[in-house]
Amino acid sequence: MDIPPLLLQTAGSLAAILALAGLAWWLKLGGAPVLVGDSDIRRVAGEVEDGFEPLDWAVSQDHTAALARDAEGRIMLIRLHGNRFAGRILGTKAGAQAAGDTLTVGCGETWFGKTRLIIANPTPWAEAINRISEPCHA
Amino acid sequence: MPDFNPTQYAVPLFVIAVLIEMIWAKLRAPEAYEPKDTLISLSFGLGSTIAGALLGGFALAVFIEAYQYRLFDFGLQWWAVWWAWPVCFVLDDLAYYWVHRAGHRIRWMWAAHVNHHSSQHYNLSTALRQSWTGALTFGFLFAVPLVLLGFHPAMIAICSGFNLIYQFWIHTEAIKRMPRWFEAVMNTPSHHRVHHATNPRYLDRNYAGVFIVWDKLFGTFEPEVDDEAIRYGIVKQLGSFNLLWAVFHEWIGMLSDIWRAPLRHKLSYLLREPGWSHDGSRETSDMIRARWKSRMGQAHIGDEVAPATASVSTRNPIAAGSEPA
Repeated sequence: MDIPPLLLQTAGSLAAILALAGLAWWLKLGGAPVLVGDSDIRRVAGEVEDGFEPLDWAVSQDHTAALARDAEGRIMLIRLHGNRFAGRILGTKAGAQAAGDTLTVGCGETWFGKTRLIIANPTPWAEAINRISEPCHA
Repeated sequence: MPDFNPTQYAVPLFVIAVLIEMIWAKLRAPEAYEPKDTLISLSFGLGSTIAGALLGGFALAVFIEAYQYRLFDFGLQWWAVWWAWPVCFVLDDLAYYWVHRAGHRIRWMWAAHVNHHSSQHYNLSTALRQSWTGALTFGFLFAVPLVLLGFHPAMIAICSGFNLIYQFWIHTEAIKRMPRWFEAVMNTPSHHRVHHATNPRYLDRNYAGVFIVWDKLFGTFEPEVDDEAIRYGIVKQLGSFNLLWAVFHEWIGMLSDIWRAPLRHKLSYLLREPGWSHDGSRETSDMIRARWKSRMGQAHIGDEVAPATASVSTRNPIAAGSEPA
């Protein structure tokens, strides 16, 4: 039986892809960065949107997510994505629910997903997020 | 007519090179790779190959038709005209510069090319992160002038293949800088890191494929500075490892914008630069850079240092030791 070259090439490439991704996993490449100090928050917030300067913030207990607010009152959600951080300035489609010390925040984008933060006193953050009426900037 | 596809032969070398870079990463910079990101990038590569096989015939048909109207004829044995090969390679690289520049400045084309940029990592697997939808942007039309000049479509395809192979190795943080003369003429890891960066100073710079001289010639060159950490990806990072979302997100965003826009602005969402909006609610790369420049202070901005963190070379000792061009 003749196997079409494209099929053969595809199967070979797929095998190589799985092998290389498996190797990256096996070698434990990546690591797990965390948001530890003020400088981390400022740096990552500036990466999400150039010039964003947090005035106050709340970092999740596991240090993988944070909320930051700037002088204009904009609120930025930051969370770990792989071994990098990604974030959004929250807009009108954002929503948040507080339950105990857990705050669940969504920026309104299906594929960005919802982020769960364990923080002290999450209710004021939830209320602030749910009050947002400006369009999403990020 | 030679039946030769250089990229097919290069695939095993690509795999070996990624393997070697992973070992380097294990020893020197484990954060340079992330397994899920690697899987997505390589899946992009596979899908791109399949899409090329399925859709590439249209471009070939256009080239063969255009070849009937060529200005110069290299004869039946066009492949034996030795000097035509380097000339074709250089002109093809010039065409690549422009199609690449258009890929960043026209949202229709960016919708496909964004795939290559949406990883927040910069390693050899990123090089293989190629679009599935490039054929929908008609970028191949930028090479039609070469066909009309008389270069056979097969010669152009072979030169493009070598161009693509050249661009593979520059997707790495393992090399800081090449020798000064090389950096001056050729595209290098340093120059191309700039291209993949989202730092405002680097946005939409260094479009070159093989020869960096095109950027210097057309005013889009930006050297890598040593005291500013590069962040890779796109201005609005995906934040998702969903492959299909990664492939189609910008197409969905663009079509959604066109659908919602007032009639007189619809075409602008197709043809203007990414980030443009009719109500000014978003930012283009030029606006982001202008805001950054304003914030940093106008005077001698090119010499200034933005947030001081470790550069690629500082983080990767193996890459240190060369002088900038």
